Amino acid sequence: MNVRPARVDDLSGMQACNLQNLPENYTMKYYLYHILTWPSLSYVAEDHKGRIVGYILGKMEEEIGPDDPPHGHVTSISVLRSYRRLGLAKKLMIQSQEAMATIYRASYVSLHVRKSNRAALGLYRDTLGFTNNGIEKKYYADGEDAYAMKLPLQP
Amino acid sequence: MPPASPAIPPKRLLPSKEASLFREVLNLYESKQLKKGLKAADQILKKFPEHGETVCMKGLILTHMGKREEGLELVKKGVRLDLTSHICWHVFGLIQKGEKNYDEALKSYTQALRFDKENLNILRDAAHLQTQLRIYDGLLDTRHTILKLRPSLRQNWLALAVAYHLNGNLTEAKKVLDQYEYILKNVTDYDVEHSEVMLYHVRILEDLGEHAAALSLLDTNAKSRAIVDRTAIMEFRARLLSKLGSTDEAEHAWRALIERNGDNYDYFRGFLRNKEINLDCLTNDNRLEALNVLRDFSAQIPRAAAPRRLALTVATGDDFTELVKTYLVSAITKGIPSLFADIKALYRDPEKQQVVEDIVEELRESLASSQPANADEPPTTYLWTLYFLAQHHSFLSRPARALSLLDLAFQHTPTLPELHTCKARILKHAGDLYGAARCLETARLLDGQDRFLNTKCAKYRLRAGLIDEASEILGLFTKKDAVTPGADLEDMQSLLYLIEEGDAHNRNHHFGLALKKYTAVQKIFDEIDDDQYDFHGYSLRKFTVNIYFSLIAWENKLRSHPAYVSAALASSRIWVAVHDDPSLAAPSTSSSSLDEKKAKKKARKAAIKMQEGTKKIPPTSNEDKALEPPPVKDEDPDGSKLLASPDALELAAKFLSPVVALVKDNLDVWIATYDVAIRRKKYLQAVQALDHARRLSPEHPELHIRTIDLRQRVSSLPQVPPAPIGQVLTEFVSSILSDETSLETFNSQYLQKHTSSAAAVLAAAKVLRKLDASREEVEVVLFTALRTDVQLDIRTALVIISFLGDIQSPRQDEFRAACDSKFESSTIFKPSNELEVLRKEATKGNIAEEADKVEVVG
Repeated sequence: MNVRPARVDDLSGMQACNLQNLPENYTMKYYLYHILTWPSLSYVAEDHKGRIVGYILGKMEEEIGPDDPPHGHVTSISVLRSYRRLGLAKKLMIQSQEAMATIYRASYVSLHVRKSNRAALGLYRDTLGFTNNGIEKKYYADGEDAYAMKLPLQP
Repeated sequence: MPPASPAIPPKRLLPSKEASLFREVLNLYESKQLKKGLKAADQILKKFPEHGETVCMKGLILTHMGKREEGLELVKKGVRLDLTSHICWHVFGLIQKGEKNYDEALKSYTQALRFDKENLNILRDAAHLQTQLRIYDGLLDTRHTILKLRPSLRQNWLALAVAYHLNGNLTEAKKVLDQYEYILKNVTDYDVEHSEVMLYHVRILEDLGEHAAALSLLDTNAKSRAIVDRTAIMEFRARLLSKLGSTDEAEHAWRALIERNGDNYDYFRGFLRNKEINLDCLTNDNRLEALNVLRDFSAQIPRAAAPRRLALTVATGDDFTELVKTYLVSAITKGIPSLFADIKALYRDPEKQQVVEDIVEELRESLASSQPANADEPPTTYLWTLYFLAQHHSFLSRPARALSLLDLAFQHTPTLPELHTCKARILKHAGDLYGAARCLETARLLDGQDRFLNTKCAKYRLRAGLIDEASEILGLFTKKDAVTPGADLEDMQSLLYLIEEGDAHNRNHHFGLALKKYTAVQKIFDEIDDDQYDFHGYSLRKFTVNIYFSLIAWENKLRSHPAYVSAALASSRIWVAVHDDPSLAAPSTSSSSLDEKKAKKKARKAAIKMQEGTKKIPPTSNEDKALEPPPVKDEDPDGSKLLASPDALELAAKFLSPVVALVKDNLDVWIATYDVAIRRKKYLQAVQALDHARRLSPEHPELHIRTIDLRQRVSSLPQVPPAPIGQVLTEFVSSILSDETSLETFNSQYLQKHTSSAAAVLAAAKVLRKLDASREEVEVVLFTALRTDVQLDIRTALVIISFLGDIQSPRQDEFRAACDSKFESSTIFKPSNELEVLRKEATKGNIAEEADKVEVVG
């Protein structure tokens, strides 16, 4: 699969991929906000026909405390079930992290995951090397808790 | 008209006490203290009820407070009271902008600017409106004015360059950037904004063809770290060096990119193009060279998949056999589910297709003989081999072979969801929609946490017409507090859901409900069109202009999206059908519509719930949002008003019009455009549409029907339309169907030419009917579609059956039964009592009790 920086005309495919895979969904405006604020932090994987089969939607954390260094945040990452085991999630993550570190000097990247989502938890922890950094109570609209996860980046 | 004299008109003048109160109103509004603002405004109005600016401000405040109608009335009244006040016009413009009435808003802003030329807030808003409306020459003037007023603001320079760029004047855009950089001071390290501007400058130079200048600017700024985006730097460099013909340096640059991301196909294409190898048209001279390059990269970067896969496209003969064998075996051993989807693109070459089949069949045989698997072979290899072959044979229209392979796989491992989704797809293609839905239910039950399987399951239910049952499944992953699962999916802009459910209603003949879904698709595209508005200012503040141009380009062709096209086509067909036969929109009374009544009742209930839901949403404090009209109550939950709308044809024309402008190579679009235009008596448009269609596919069955239709309509016109349209029309008709040829002859000639195409047979039969042939005659033609030398697919067969119903043919069941035996694995042609049984089974998964306990092979 072709792994490349996301473009504006990929957003519709990313949105469709997200809706098919994950319970957390967003309207187009939110995707636009990401790519028009941090144009280099999102990546896609596409098949031979140009269909989006995986994506990472990345950003820099905007509200950081005085002692908190700049850091990136993964708003959403997913790969269609039928395109798993190709290591796409990891490839997407590596490209986005690299951009966070070089362009914005991010010192780490964070993300949230539903406590109940064991499959995703396994991906982030075992495949991508994130560590659990505590629980955010009632993070999701339906009241479920989230694990806050972190991965340090090489300067 | 000369601008108003600078003297303040007496009716606007307020005594000092009220004048200061008015300033307070403005301040209170700015700080969103609406209640206090209202009180102050009322205080002024008590003494000066005709003070236009205060009336407008009161209206604006009321609108924010949710009293929309009253507010709007006051604003209009205020403008009338003081037509030369920039405040009044500004307020009016704000309100119109909130209603997304950009045209009218810009007019109001233009008025406001006549009376206050240098008001930056108004100028900025006007610039955004001009961009939204693509009035680029006006935008340029506005940007000039803003820069003159505030040259110290960095973004105003950039904004002017962007305005020139949008006008297509790159040379001036470049000059503006040069000037800007000349006066620029105090750029800090790692200034991402500055980095974006410099990249933009490089890009303009590249677009102007000044590649050497672009490269030197890029290198200087990359070295000084003014440009910080490494990927962008490297991509620009490689491309510019290639364009400059610096082959060695370019090769180096492309290689660096590949080492950074060995899965980006563009980089390999770039690398090869630099060696004058075009992957899309290889010659026998350079094929081997390309292959060697890709082989080297595969060895150097083992984790990269792209060079290995590209090598399969490039290689032929023994090279291909050797490479594809390694590729296939490695992927099957790893259990990569997408392998077939990945490989089938190679099947355009029949030789490669055969090689792949031979290799995997051979693998299957060797594994089958050693079942149960020996120790050094993972037990799943056999399974994934069967899975691959099932997809392979299904793709090549051998469903029976595919299904028997899957049966072997199920014996091996009954709990792999992929096997069940695969079987579902095969059954779906074979015309067993209920069976397909049942297989997906099984797959879903095997991994209930997976939304992908959930979505697929719902989609298959919709394909089988099981709309309520699909909704139940979707509800497992949509928001629990949503009115219905569908409402949540619509809020989240799921085009897939809306199209699939719309189509399902359409197939069930619930046209009103179908139109509801299709127009919801239309609304989503309107929203996305509106979404860009905020970014006209935002991107300049953030300096992210490079991507901003892609936004503009994307929005310009937004409605060429397949979901929009499909919704527009389906809706216009419904509206045209209702125009021709208004009884379709009349509430049906037959007993078969019990279903429909149920569906409509559900839609009404949901609408009531939706209305209750919106009440709970607290009023938002955001300024722009507050000026947007609140969601209106859905007065037409089941779409019956939409269906019976007296403007049906106008609605269809409006839905279609952006598609006509954007999608030129889709015959269906031209046919739909003709159908709507001819009924609206837009003869020129109708002729143009048919002319386009003729150029795409002169013998297309749908076009044949329209050719006859046009001649019939033109000859029955009471008088020829006035010049020049009348002449164009008659000349076009004679050019496609000579005046001497009778329609009967034309039709039978067409049929003779295309006897082996079922779609053509159907078209000819439909025309016969229109020419008042007897029903028996029409039936005879239709039944030729069953002959073995005719290519009949399931979809066309279903349309024929439905047409037989339209003409009240007694032979409908006969045709249906013939199809049932012709399409072996299908169930779609079964009699209704049998279908009822299958329908009930469709939502029942088929897994053994103990299956959930077994670890899913995965």
